[in-house]
Formats: sequence, structure tokens, C-alpha cells
Amino acid sequence: MLRIEHLTKVFPGGVVAVDDVSLTVPDGEFLVIIGLSGSGKSTLLRCINRLVEPTSGRIFLNDVEITRLSLAQLRQVRKRMGMIFQQFNLVKRSSVLTNVLSGRLGTVSPWQSAVGRFPLPDYHRAFANLERVGIPEKAYQRADTLSGGQQQRVAIARALMQEPQLMLADEPVASLDPATSHSVMKYLEEINQQDGITVLCNLHFLSLARRYATRVVALKQGAIVYDGPPRQIDQVRFREIYGEEAVEVEIA
Amino acid sequence: MATIEEARRPDPAAFRKAGPGAIVASWRSLLFLAIAIAAYAYGWQITQIDFPALVLNLPKAQRIVVGLLQPDVIAEETESISASAPLRIGDAASVATGASSSSIGAGTLTVTPGAIRAGDEVTLTLSGVRPDSDLRLSLVDTTTGNSRPIRNDKTGSSGSFNLTFSMPSSVSGGAYTVRADLSWGLGRWRPSEAFILSLQKTIETIFLALMATTFAMIVSIPLSFLGARNLMQGNRVGWAVYYATRTFFNVLRSIEALILVIIMAVVVGLGPFAGVMAIVIHSIGAMGKLYSESIESIDAGPIEAITATGADRFQVILFAVVPQVVPQFLSFTMYRWDINVRLSTVIGLVGGGGIGFLLIQYINLLQWNQAGAALWLIGITVMAMDYASAIIRARLV
Repeated sequence: MLRIEHLTKVFPGGVVAVDDVSLTVPDGEFLVIIGLSGSGKSTLLRCINRLVEPTSGRIFLNDVEITRLSLAQLRQVRKRMGMIFQQFNLVKRSSVLTNVLSGRLGTVSPWQSAVGRFPLPDYHRAFANLERVGIPEKAYQRADTLSGGQQQRVAIARALMQEPQLMLADEPVASLDPATSHSVMKYLEEINQQDGITVLCNLHFLSLARRYATRVVALKQGAIVYDGPPRQIDQVRFREIYGEEAVEVEIA
Repeated sequence: MATIEEARRPDPAAFRKAGPGAIVASWRSLLFLAIAIAAYAYGWQITQIDFPALVLNLPKAQRIVVGLLQPDVIAEETESISASAPLRIGDAASVATGASSSSIGAGTLTVTPGAIRAGDEVTLTLSGVRPDSDLRLSLVDTTTGNSRPIRNDKTGSSGSFNLTFSMPSSVSGGAYTVRADLSWGLGRWRPSEAFILSLQKTIETIFLALMATTFAMIVSIPLSFLGARNLMQGNRVGWAVYYATRTFFNVLRSIEALILVIIMAVVVGLGPFAGVMAIVIHSIGAMGKLYSESIESIDAGPIEAITATGADRFQVILFAVVPQVVPQFLSFTMYRWDINVRLSTVIGLVGGGGIGFLLIQYINLLQWNQAGAALWLIGITVMAMDYASAIIRARLV
């Protein structure tokens, strides 16, 4: 279970990205966070694994207070949280296999990784995960030779290598076309339902949230303006979240 | 009365004042112009600029141009033989009628008569020697060994040569020999000595640059990570290390290799090693800065992603930074090698070894054709390096 208490992030320069957010996410939930660009979704997600240091507030994962951990302890917690990104963030010049294997870096010693050799079971895991996202034949290709959707699947495979308890997905489909978006979202849905991995996913499109989320949290200017099941977001609530002039766009 | 719409519209008169053309009108720009004119006038004077002299004295560059156009690159293989016949120059009492002679190869060198007074006529004869050979005749003082030329000529088609002349009265009495040097081409051409030496020194220069670039790379690559803003930001220690590293690079880079080679020549002596060390020191600064900047320009996304997997700092650098910078590092290193070849020819001029050292020797000895050969080799080498490194770099990135 993930628990966020009164989380606030103020960037140097005074921009309040996250404003007193409290949130409890039970295990197995598919939580979609929606909101306009700049509403604080990405910052909130990055505070959870402390890629961004929160200004104040506390975050607990299984009653371990992430926000108080030393860097070494934090790495132990990060191992249990997979993360995927809008720009996929693969190492483009490395092979797909190397990218997937790098998900195991938290478990190997620096000296092992320095010579680029991972334990044999990790290779088996890597191929199993590539199989799972449907691109085992791409293992030896350079990552930048893959299409956007394939790259995001590699990123999912990399995150799965961590055998995570929690998956953080920061706008995972914002750079993809509608059809590919659904394919990627379905993989997230699958790992959520089959493996019981809790998913926290930032999305722009309400239609995608409606389709995949078990719960939706809406952020506006860093604060929560809606927290509930996706079906209850009607026109009134939609305008509250996205502003008076917004029109909902369907993603096929 | 102006409406709100009109008030919002920019005032064309104000724009005219501030816009293009305004610079001519303002007194500040006139002052600036006056200062600029004064500065250039002083500069013209202090640097002794004299374009008429440049044009008038251009013919003085002729020997250099001729040297470049006729580089000493190939030479015909020659064979030579020589012989000396005695000739005594003295007073009337010692004059003899008998000839002196000496054999030269299969032929004979004859001096008639074998003893004369200064001012008398003497006949030098060569017979039975190789036809159409280069002949050099000289008079050698046997006591001092001093030699003065008599004649440079060619032997006739029949293999003989005849010369009668009066011994100048300025020649003092004593024992002399007439020396004949015969040489002829064998029709075989080979690289000239100057060319072979230049080639050896060019290879020395390329390797000098290679060693220097490699040593500089070994030092500057680890340092460049400490000089990359994106890796060092976050805490005060990181910033301090970042600024210290960048300052270190800038200081090394700002010291000219020409100055460094003089210092190094004092430490390790004149020669290629002084050149290597001078280039190493200068290159550490230059390469370190380029490496650091290429680390700073990488995509931060993979760093974020690898950090999120629970990897430590070292692993993040190894898996997210290194793969992104390797091609650029190799490319910069090739480029620097190319620069260092050029640099090492220049520092050779001041004692850093290599082709530059040879070139300055030829120039000092006014051996323009040899200098021409060295210059051609430098030019070809630099162009070839430039071309090769461009191709390799294009493939890397």
C-alpha cells in the first residue's frame, strides 16, 4: 500500500507544483492521474521514487517512510518501483537486451555491472519479459531502430525486470498514436490484473482513463480536485478539471 | 481624444528614433566611432603595417617558391671517381717541362708542365675516361688542404677533356695538386636523402601526436565526468568539483603549446618527448572541455530511467551516460589527433622534434629545395589526416 501525506513540492523560483496532496493507494489498484499539462502530475509521480525531492510531506510504501530514507536505503525501495516515461528513456545506442537487463542493476554489484555481465537467470528473465511484451525477436537490435510503441514495450519489459510492486507510468502513451496507445495501455492493464502490480499512471486523455482506470485522481494546479471512480466524471466535473472552455476529445 | 485602440498602437516616431539608422545620429555612437578610429590608427602604426613594401619585396619570396616548386624529392643514383696529379708552383728555377700524371679509372689525368710559375700557362688533359660525365676540376693546396675550383664541365663524347689556362698570378707558390672529380648518373632514380629524412620525421610527427593524444585522453576522460554540470549538480561539493575541474581545463587550454614545449625542453631536453609532453598538457584542457560538454549535451531521460531502477551513481554513469558519449568521445579524439599532428609540426620549429625540427634546420641552412620537400610532406600528411578523421568521424556519430 502506498500512502501520501500532505505532499508539497515547491521548485526553486517559487512554482508550487504539488500542493498538499494526500492519497492512499491500496495494492492492486489501477490509479490514473489526470489533469492539464503543468498540473503537477509528473512531479507527484517523481516524488514517489524521489527523482524529485519533495519539499514537505511524507510518503509511505508498506509503512516504510520513503521520504526519510538515506540514498542507499532509497535504492532498495526504488528496486520495487518500476517506472516508464513519455519519451521511453531507453539508452538509444544500446541493444534492446541491454536496456531490458539494466532493470536488474539494483540487484547486481557495481563490479559485476562494470564488466557488463549479469547473472544467467537475469538473461532468462529478460527474454521472458520481452516475450511478454511481444518483441523477443528484437533483443539484439539497437533500441533506436524500434518504433515508438515497441520502445515503450521495451521500457515496460525493463520495469518488469525489477519485479516491481508498484508501476509508475508518466504519460506512457502521450508520444504514441491512438492504436499503439491502446496496445501499451493493455500491457499495463495486464500486469495490473495478472501480476497484481499497483499502477499509477498519468494520462492526458479522460477517455483512456475511463477505459483502464479503477480509480481516477484529478489534479489542478497541484491540488486534488477529484478522487473517485472514472464513471462519475460528468460534464460538470470535467470542466472543473480542465477549465470552462475545454471540450472532451475521444481517443479511439 | 485618442481611443484605447489608438493608445495601444506603437508610436512610429518613437520606433524611428530607436530603429535602424539611429546609430548614426546618437552622440554616443560618434564617440564610439572616434575611439575605434584612434585604436585602429595606433594599431596600424604599432604593427608597422607597410603594404607597399609587401608588394615591392614580393620577388624576395622567389627562392622559397622555387624550392616549393622543385622539392628535393628524387635523386639519380650516381657513381664517381677522382684523381689528383701534383703541380708545383714556384720561381723560374724550378720550372720543369715534364708532365705529371695520375690514373683515373681506366684513364689518365695529365698536368703539363708539372711545375710552373704563377702566371704561366698550364694544360690539364683527361683521356680514356667515361664520356659525358660531370667533371669538376679544382686546385688543392697540399699543405693547407684548401681547395679552389678551376672549372666545372663535362667530358667530351670521346671520353677526353682538354683545358689550357694561365695560372693567376695571385696564386702563391707551393706544392699543389690538381684534383679531378668525375661523376655520372646511372639512370636509376631513388628517393632523395632529404625526402627519406622528411618522411621519417613525418612519421615521427604522426606518432608524436598519437602518443600525446592518447596520454591526454587517458587523463581527460575521467576528469571530464567531474567537469560535467549535469552529473555534478545537486550539492555544494559537486559544484566545487565541477568548477575546479573546469578551471583546471581552462588554465591548461589557455597555455600555448609553443610555450609549454620550451618549458618541457628545459625539463626533458630538446626532442620529441618535450613535444609530446607539451601537447599532452595543452590537449588535456582542450579535450577535457569538449568531453565535458558532450556529457552535458546527452539526453537526461535515460539517466532518470536508470536511476529509477535503483542503480547507484556509478551504474547510472556506466549504463546511461557512457553509451551516449562513446561515439562523440571517439570522434573528438580523432579530431584532436588531427589537430595535434598540425600542432606538432609547429612545435617542432621550437625544438619539439618531428618534421618541424627538420624544416627549420633546412630553412636556416637556406636549403630551399629540401625545405620544399618537407613542406610538401607536411601538407599532404595534414590533408590526409583531415580527410581520414572526417570519414571516421562521420561513421561514428
